[in-house]
Order: sequence, then structure tokens, then C-alpha cells
Amino acid sequence: MSAPMTRRAFLRLLGIGIGGAACGRIANTLPDPLASSPAPTLVPLPASATPFLPAEEVPTQAPPTAVSYPDLVVARGPTPEQLVRQGLAALGGMPRFVHPGARVVIKPNICVAYHSYEYAATTNPWVVGELVRQCLAAGAAQVTVMDSPFGGSAEQAYAVSGIAAQVQAAGGEMHLMRSFKYVATDLPQGRDLHALEIYDDVLKADVLINVPIAKHHSLARLTLGMKNLMGVIRDRPLMHQAIGQRLADLASRVRPALTVVDAVRMLMAHGPSGGSLADVRQADTLILSTDVVAADSYAATLFGLQPDDLSYLRAGRDMGLGQSDLGAMRIEELTIGA
Amino acid sequence: MEHEAGRRVDPRWYTRARWVVQLLALAAYLAAFILARRGPYLSAAANLFLRLDPLAALAQALSGREFVAGMLLSLLVIGLALGLGRAWCGWLCPLGTILDVFSPSRRRVRALEAAEPWRRVKILLVVLILASALLGSLSLMVLDPLTLLTRSLASSVWPALDRFVLALETGLYRVPLLAPLVGRTDLLLRPAVFPAEPLPSRVALGFGVLLASVIGLNWLAERFWCRYVCPLGGLLALLSRLAIVKRTVAPGCNACGACTHVCPTATIRADRQFSSDPAECTMCLECLAACLRQGAVFSAGTAIAPRMAYDPNRREVLAALGGGLAGVALLRSQTRTPAASAHRVQPPGARENNLIGKCLRCGECTRTCPTGAIHPAISEAGLEGLWTPVLVPRLGYCDYSCTACGEICPVGAIPPLALEQKRLTVIGVAYIDKDRCIAWADQRDCIVCEEMCPVAEKAILLERVEVTRHDGSTVSVQQPRVVRERCIGCGICEYKCPLSGEAAIRVWTPNIALPL
Repeated sequence: MSAPMTRRAFLRLLGIGIGGAACGRIANTLPDPLASSPAPTLVPLPASATPFLPAEEVPTQAPPTAVSYPDLVVARGPTPEQLVRQGLAALGGMPRFVHPGARVVIKPNICVAYHSYEYAATTNPWVVGELVRQCLAAGAAQVTVMDSPFGGSAEQAYAVSGIAAQVQAAGGEMHLMRSFKYVATDLPQGRDLHALEIYDDVLKADVLINVPIAKHHSLARLTLGMKNLMGVIRDRPLMHQAIGQRLADLASRVRPALTVVDAVRMLMAHGPSGGSLADVRQADTLILSTDVVAADSYAATLFGLQPDDLSYLRAGRDMGLGQSDLGAMRIEELTIGA
Repeated sequence: MEHEAGRRVDPRWYTRARWVVQLLALAAYLAAFILARRGPYLSAAANLFLRLDPLAALAQALSGREFVAGMLLSLLVIGLALGLGRAWCGWLCPLGTILDVFSPSRRRVRALEAAEPWRRVKILLVVLILASALLGSLSLMVLDPLTLLTRSLASSVWPALDRFVLALETGLYRVPLLAPLVGRTDLLLRPAVFPAEPLPSRVALGFGVLLASVIGLNWLAERFWCRYVCPLGGLLALLSRLAIVKRTVAPGCNACGACTHVCPTATIRADRQFSSDPAECTMCLECLAACLRQGAVFSAGTAIAPRMAYDPNRREVLAALGGGLAGVALLRSQTRTPAASAHRVQPPGARENNLIGKCLRCGECTRTCPTGAIHPAISEAGLEGLWTPVLVPRLGYCDYSCTACGEICPVGAIPPLALEQKRLTVIGVAYIDKDRCIAWADQRDCIVCEEMCPVAEKAILLERVEVTRHDGSTVSVQQPRVVRERCIGCGICEYKCPLSGEAAIRVWTPNIALPL
């Protein structure tokens, strides 16, 4: 047998390990250069240029001012992939958001491992797959897709939802969220919450694409784009107290460049996990916007609600995170295919 | 030194070969243990070692009144014992190998002269186990080396290792240059080796101390556990007396005594002319390697090994038999207060399946449960059901999309249910503590239990009511109620209830007074 490790070598290794870990702890108390970079200016953001943080690079890459895009694109039709392609085209195309070399994180709703996408508890797999394809076509260096389910393991939820298969076919990567990667993050604009532990990959991504599925929720009334962002934080029970303001506080720090509300199949009751096809309504609709508040406001109307019926949309509008007045928006409606 | 040494195989190769086999077997055991984590696996491979265990096969067949086909694998070990004695103990047993790895230097260990008679304990334990199995109790299977090791790893070593690795990862991830490396390493480790999120264990410390004690006894006498305690070793000892290949002493022996110093079970004794008891010999071949004159020989023969002074006599065997029967009867007549088992929530299908008499207490289900819901029972199942599986919903819930425990159970004590069937299997019923529930007691919206309920029609209903607060104002609150007919007792509501400490909704053992 080979010579066993000497005690000295072992202690040295142990010392390095513990020392490294200790350094890590210390480093963690130092200001993180990324986190401390000027977080979102408090100025209400114009819907057309909502950047995702960190914001430094965004101004230099803002779209040419000569072109103006609709605030909201609503695409209707039977083929989800086409809705994504043409909806994006109407919004200026994916290159408006994803620059060559960008690291993109896509956040669908994969909340449970219980049912296939037909049950409308999880985002439509083809919508997510097409978004991945569009990002890669725009030159993204890396596209990772992630969520942290509350029921069942993430691996299984990824598979059962059908999202893993579509993402992999499109060339993207499913990422299992790791518990050590949540970092304490200030919410400088937060009104009720001033700090949260947020997933590092989401904070560090160049582009965040938010792909919620439109569904019923007993407390928030509806799970839409702002509610979907809850999946990137560790302490979710915390949000349930004063959920409206707290979701808005989170959305003030985690800002998707693009929100795509999947209303291809909507879960009308017994959300968020569903389980009965009787609760599902096929609406074949996709809502795309750079403004999460605007996208959610429109989606609310699909349930017969007004934006002001949802506490988080009121809070988001009040904080200047986006607009909820559907009458004041430029909405482009597309009907695609048969 | 004799020049003949050049002609025959250097005997040290025998012990080297044994080490290789031992480490490979331990690696295979650990690989099976790791595979038991839910994922694409063959459950037959994941519980291979438990199915090789003839003591488990015999006791479970006696107690469960049925033979599990997979346990036929144990015939291999029985055949091995009839051919080569306790070669299982010396070459294959993962606990035996761990004991060899954590062995003190031999020179420092004195044979426990006074303990010689205690070698019979392991034989008597076999009798006790089989006697109580006759009455349908497998409580003493906690002493089987494979259940002991698997349970200790599942409930203690692995969770501790996991926390250690996580602490290291969390620390190193904050070091700017190391972060990508930590991320990449973690991708290899989770969820293949460790769960994505660290899982809880109620008995990590206790089982850790237990395993450490079994190893620590090595410092009293090498392979103390295998010599005196191990009931699987006891069963194999009985078979080994019939073994074909045994160690004998050849005429070349000059009584140098080298073999007595290397024998791990100290069965080679000068006062017996350096012969050994096949029931104690683990076929480790250390004596062969140590012998300078080819005095130790392993040869085939059909003679039955002679009785030893420490072998139990008929009276002791009868006493153990009676003790086993009486022990079970006593345990059963000691009625526990019904409250003690109010929260005995068993894995899906196990409630209808009498775990006391079917469960080996191996802890494979604890290991495989992806949500950390299954734990060895401490008080929930009484003394007779000690370390049978219970769900502890506050620590983990039964995942609505999972059937892992039924797939892994080596003896079908937790039945292998199809997913649709499992979703309908009632393991408990949730009741709300309205005095503590946020909606009921504090008159504030919460709804977490309803939100989490996986049942399609929701076993928890929310009712919007106007309630009057202490200051006379009225508020509108959504109050949860459990629809008992829909609740399957998965416990996700109890797990996610945002109250600190005890949840305001708890899963109880199904109430037999009410129809399900």
C-alpha cells in the first residue's frame, strides 16, 4: 500500500483549508465591489431602457434613440415558439437585450416537480427553449436556466416540467441552484425590506430574462412576473408578510431586462401547484415587455382583474419600477398563425 | 531463511490481495450507498449489500412469513461460509474493513484473556434475533453490522460530512479567485453525492457516537465487534464449523508464535498448539504471510470443527431462545400511552404493512429520501419499533412526486408503490392549531399551508371571513381549514408553516375512529 499521509502534511492541508475558509468569511464582510457599485438610480426608469443590475454598462449600450419600441407586445397564436420569435421581433429583437458574449440567466417558473407543463403550474417549455435559442443566436456566451422549486427536487422538477429537455435541445444549460451561492445583498431602494439573500448567478448575470407563467395564487391573487422573482432569494417565507411591498422591494434590485409572461396555458385556480386540467385555460398568449410592472398589469386583465387589484403592482408602480396604466402604454398586439 | 521461499508465491501477496478485495468491496458498498440517493439508479444495485446478508434474510423470512426474492442473494454468502468459513468477515464486510482501517498498531493491543467466554455472545444474539423474529419482531436487527453501518452513515456520517463540505464551500466561495472552482466542484458533488440542500438528522450525534464506539472497541481488542458482538458474524461462525477450507498447522511449525501476534481475532493460541477455531478465523491469511516456516496451511477437508470452551451450551441456547420470546412478549405488554405515537407518520404504504416485523432498520429509506423527511424513530414507534422509519414533517415533507423509499427498501417493508397509487396513500392527517395559526390567532393573512398543498383540489381550503379585532375594527382574513377527506398527510404544510418552533398545522397518525 502507498505511504499514508504524514501528520504534518495532513495538518498543513487542514490549516490551508481552514485558513482559506476563514479568509472567505472575512472577504465576505468586506464590501463586494460588484454589490456596492451604484445600484439603480432612484429615478423612475423609462420603460424602454430598464436595465438589469449592475447598471454600469447599460447606458453605453442603450438602444439608439431614433428607434422607439412598443411598451408591451401581446402575441397570440397556437405555436409558442412563433409567439416568442415574433413578439421579440416587435420588441426590437433579442440583440436589443443580449450582446455578444453576454451571460444570460433565464428564470422560468418551475415551482413543483408534480406535473407536466399541461397542468400550467410551470412555464411552457417551448417558450423557454425558444428564448434560449434566441439568446444564443444573439451571441450570448452562456445561457443558464434556473429556479428553486418548493415541492420536490429541482432536478426532477426540471425534468417533469419538460423544460430541461427543451433548454438542452436549444443549447442552454439547466442550473441546480446551490445553497452556498445566496449572498446578502442590500436593497437600496427598498421601503420595507432593505436586504435579502439573493442568488449570486442572478446578481452577476449580464442579462436576466423573467419568464413567469400566469396563474392563480391565494395571497398575491396572481403569480406573474414580479412574483416569479421570489425564486431567486433564499428566505421566501419572509415575503409573505406584506407581500406586495416586499415583492416590489425585491424587484427594485433584481431587474429583468425582459419579462415574458407565459399565458399559453393559464392556471385559473388551485395555484401555484395545480394538478387538475379543469383549472387550466388555454389562452395561447404571450406578453413581452422590458417593464415587469407593465407586463404583469396586462396579464392581470386576462384573469378579469385590474392592475390595482394586485398589491405588488400598486407597490411597484408607486416605487417607479414601471407603469401600470394600460391606457397610457403603447401596446402592440400580434396575431400569429391560424 | 529457507531458499524454498523463492519457489512458492510470496505469501505476503495473499494479504495484499485481501486488502485490494476489502477496499474494492468497501468502495462498492459506498457506491451503492451513494447511488441510493434518488436518481437514475437500479434499486437492486443500491441495496445489494443488505440483500447479501443471510441474517437479514433469515430473520425477515421468519418474522414477515414471506420470503423476499431479492434476499436469495444471501445464499451466496451462505455458500461462501460453507466453502471458506468467515471469509465474508475478513474480505468483504464493509464494517469489517472499516474496523481494519481504523485499527491500532497490533503490538499495543493485548488479547482480552478474560473475555474469551464472551465470544459466545454473538452466537446467543443470533438465537435471540431468530427467536424474536418467530414472534414477528425484528427489533434486534439494529445489531446487524450492515444495518448498523448503513444507518450510521445515513443519519450521522453523511449529514455531518455534508455540513462540513457546505461550510467549506460557503467559505471558499467568498474568496474571489476560488469561487468558480468551488462552483464547478459542487456540480460534481451535488446532487450525486450530497443532496442539493443539506438535510437534517435528529440522531446524528447519537449514531455518530455509536459508530465511533464500535470502532473504538478496536483499541480494547482488534476486531472486538467481530469477535464478541456481531450477530452476522455469529451466524457465519456457526456455518464456518462446516467449512470445507480451514486453517491447519503443518508439521513444519516450530512454535515460534509469529502467527499469534498477527491474528486479528486472536484465535491462534499457543496453548492450542497454534491451531485456530474456524468459527473465529476470518480467513485473513495474515498468519500465512507471517509464518516463516510454512507452518500455517489452509487446506480442504470435510471434518467439522470441534466445540470450543466458549461455545454456548444447550442451556444457554435455550435461555436465549426463551429470552427472545419473553422479551418480545414483555415489550408488547408494556402498553405505551397512546399519545406517544400520535405523530407516528410512516412512509407511504408502511402503515398497512407492520414495520415492526418487516423492517430491517437499515436506514436505506432515510438515505434515499430526497427531502430528508424519513428519520429513524426514537419514541414514536415504541421500543419495539426503535429506529424504524418515521416521517418528521417539520424536518422534511413527503414529496408528492417521489416514490424513492418504496423503491429502495430491500425487503418491501415500505411497499414499492406506483406514483399514482402513492399520491392516494394516506400516511397521516393534518390538523390546524387555531390558537397559534397566524390567520386564526393573529388575524392576518398567511395561506402558506394552502399554497403548498400538492393535492390537485387542495386539501386545505381558505375561507374569507370578516373578523373583529381587539380594538373593535374589522379585518378580512383568509382562514385555512383542512378537508380531511382530501388530506394524504404529506406534511408539506407542517414543513413550510412560517411559525418558529412547532408548526401551527401538524400531521397526526390517521384517526381510525373516522373513515378515511
